[in-house]
Amino acid sequence: MAKLLRVVNREQCIGCYSCMYACSRTWAKAITVEKAALRIRNYAGVEGAFSIRPCVGCDEPDCAAACPTGALTRRKFGGVQFKAETCNHCGACVQACASKALQWDVEKRIPLVCHHCGVCTQFCPRDVIAMVEIPREA
Amino acid sequence: MPRFRMMDVDLTTGTSKITDVTDRFETWLGGTGVATSLLAETDPGIDPFAPEAPIIFAIGPFNAVYPVCTKTVAMFKSPLTGNLGESHAGGRLAMAMFGAGIHVLRITGRAPAFSYLTINDDKAVVKQGNSLRGTSALAAERILRDREDTTHKKSIVRIGPAGERLSPIAEVTVDSSRHFGRMGLGAVMGSKNLKGFVISGGSYWPIENLAAYTPFYKKLYDTVVKSTAMQKYHDLGTAMNVVPLSRINGLPTRNFSQGFFEGAADISGEKFAEKHLSQQIACAHCQVGCIHMASLRELFDPEHYQYKSFKVSYDHELVYALGSNLSIQSTEEVLRLLIVIEKQGWDAISIGVTLAWAVDSFQKGIIGQKETDNLILNFGDGATYEKVLNRIIAGHNEFYRDLERGSDFCARKYGGLDRSIAFGKVEAAGYMTGTYAFLGYATGVRHSHLDAAGYSIDQKGLAKPKSDEEQTKELYQEAVWRHVLNSLVICLFARNVYTKEIILEGLNALNLTGWTEERLMTMARRAHALKFRYKMACGFRFEDVGLPEKLTRVMTSAGVVAGDRYRAQMQAFRAMVEADIRALP
Repeated sequence: MAKLLRVVNREQCIGCYSCMYACSRTWAKAITVEKAALRIRNYAGVEGAFSIRPCVGCDEPDCAAACPTGALTRRKFGGVQFKAETCNHCGACVQACASKALQWDVEKRIPLVCHHCGVCTQFCPRDVIAMVEIPREA
Repeated sequence: MPRFRMMDVDLTTGTSKITDVTDRFETWLGGTGVATSLLAETDPGIDPFAPEAPIIFAIGPFNAVYPVCTKTVAMFKSPLTGNLGESHAGGRLAMAMFGAGIHVLRITGRAPAFSYLTINDDKAVVKQGNSLRGTSALAAERILRDREDTTHKKSIVRIGPAGERLSPIAEVTVDSSRHFGRMGLGAVMGSKNLKGFVISGGSYWPIENLAAYTPFYKKLYDTVVKSTAMQKYHDLGTAMNVVPLSRINGLPTRNFSQGFFEGAADISGEKFAEKHLSQQIACAHCQVGCIHMASLRELFDPEHYQYKSFKVSYDHELVYALGSNLSIQSTEEVLRLLIVIEKQGWDAISIGVTLAWAVDSFQKGIIGQKETDNLILNFGDGATYEKVLNRIIAGHNEFYRDLERGSDFCARKYGGLDRSIAFGKVEAAGYMTGTYAFLGYATGVRHSHLDAAGYSIDQKGLAKPKSDEEQTKELYQEAVWRHVLNSLVICLFARNVYTKEIILEGLNALNLTGWTEERLMTMARRAHALKFRYKMACGFRFEDVGLPEKLTRVMTSAGVVAGDRYRAQMQAFRAMVEADIRALP
């Protein structure tokens, strides 16, 4: 069984974006929130209402099914893997993710695939997200 | 090495341009240093509401880069003081400016129609928006967020109706409950026909020196999150000060009549937390989360069990200005006033202190029912204060229209200058700990408690007395040092995290090499002196910043503040500033 990224205490989120900075820093070596494979969404007029959208590591990932070139394929134990050289930059994968969890790198025009590495959880000050053991097919 | 860019937007023509200002950042570091250098190049005689008067927003090399470096500096000519205007705000603005690839945004001109501005990467567009006129600062955010659905994370900066009416105590609201509160930036935006702006972009800095940056970041993160360095800010927040300050006679009560508030325990940080705190939220890239959001649930139709709920942020300054200083000891009443103020977009300290002046002056017979049109002003009467605020909003009569021009203006017009608790025309913050709290307000470049934290010198002096010479020097040195912090632009709550050593390590990790402690301090002294030179060119004089006479008659934490002592230390501070001005290149 593998560990996958999960939202465990949504209501404790303070909207600091520390998780997004951690993801971008680790995987894109960039100082930004815009290269992160998860998104903290906030809503106007209801200060403090944050919605956290991480990749949930679907058993049957819609993003991979929507990919016309096979650049995204199902990963063992959940999630997807991405072959950049195969990608035709159509963005169908991002459109296919109903929970808007799959993010798009506007600069490189590729999906920002979550590796379920857990670095974002290490930089969450309020235990909002965690790595959780989830049964998934190998 | 990172490069720094400035965007100029001319609202009159709707045009913009980008300039590389890396050289300026090499000299002035960023934030307040860079903004000062730009403002100092403008005509000090300009009318704050002239189209050519610039609004300069500046961030520094640490913004969006390191934890708790969340602030943006705004610099402008203040319609409240007639000289240098400076205010800082958090929220997501620093992150969004960084994302748009600009460290300075300079806005000039006046839009031909009521407008808002969008900035998305390098593209700035002035958009007509007459339907936004008169919308509250909160409604404007909802509307602009809906209207401008950007790809990247954005910040929404806007004024309320007070700014549109050109009230010189109008603030600018940033995202969720953050404000450029002080000195009337809201009115300057209003004078430009600018309701607000939405800014976003996808720019970023690649991490060039991963071996230095990553462990340094982790060290900072652990200090911020895992040590006690910032604990008080996320626990009760600054409202934790209410009761301890009252205990030492340092909490302004009934327009600074005394420093002890008998109702302090009822409006304490603990009380707000128990009764109203719904959650803490944070500025972008701050893991502390010091923004304390209170919920207020009200029954508006008892017969049918109809309730409504509000959320509004609170902190020490707001609890002082709308609580103890008006003798209000109900958290609900404080919050009800705050909601009106938040929607209108007034600076909460300024409007609160002006209300306190009005009540005090009413009770002394300086103003009467003729001015108030039959309202009777008493301390502790929250329901009447709500009526006063609503009459200001409606422009009920000349007196109410004047109230939103601040306490100094009102006192000069109606009398009661001795009880207008403002320094350099800026209404005072919530500390009456002694001579140095007042000297801090008086000598601060923006007449803020944040310029040099004089209240802290008073409190340290209670424990371990020092000479005036030492304490005034400490006040000056702190004022100068904060120019380093405010150039980077670090949230001052993290001032103990960002020591000189940490700052130099942080600059090096970004390949911004060549900075030394001496170079940082030289920049800071120059920026501080340049601000005073600009203020003086606008007509500011140290000798005009008197101690409101009432404050010589009240008991502070450190006893009665003597007028001569205050004047002598003003003189000593002024001598240090003038020496720095003479040394300017």
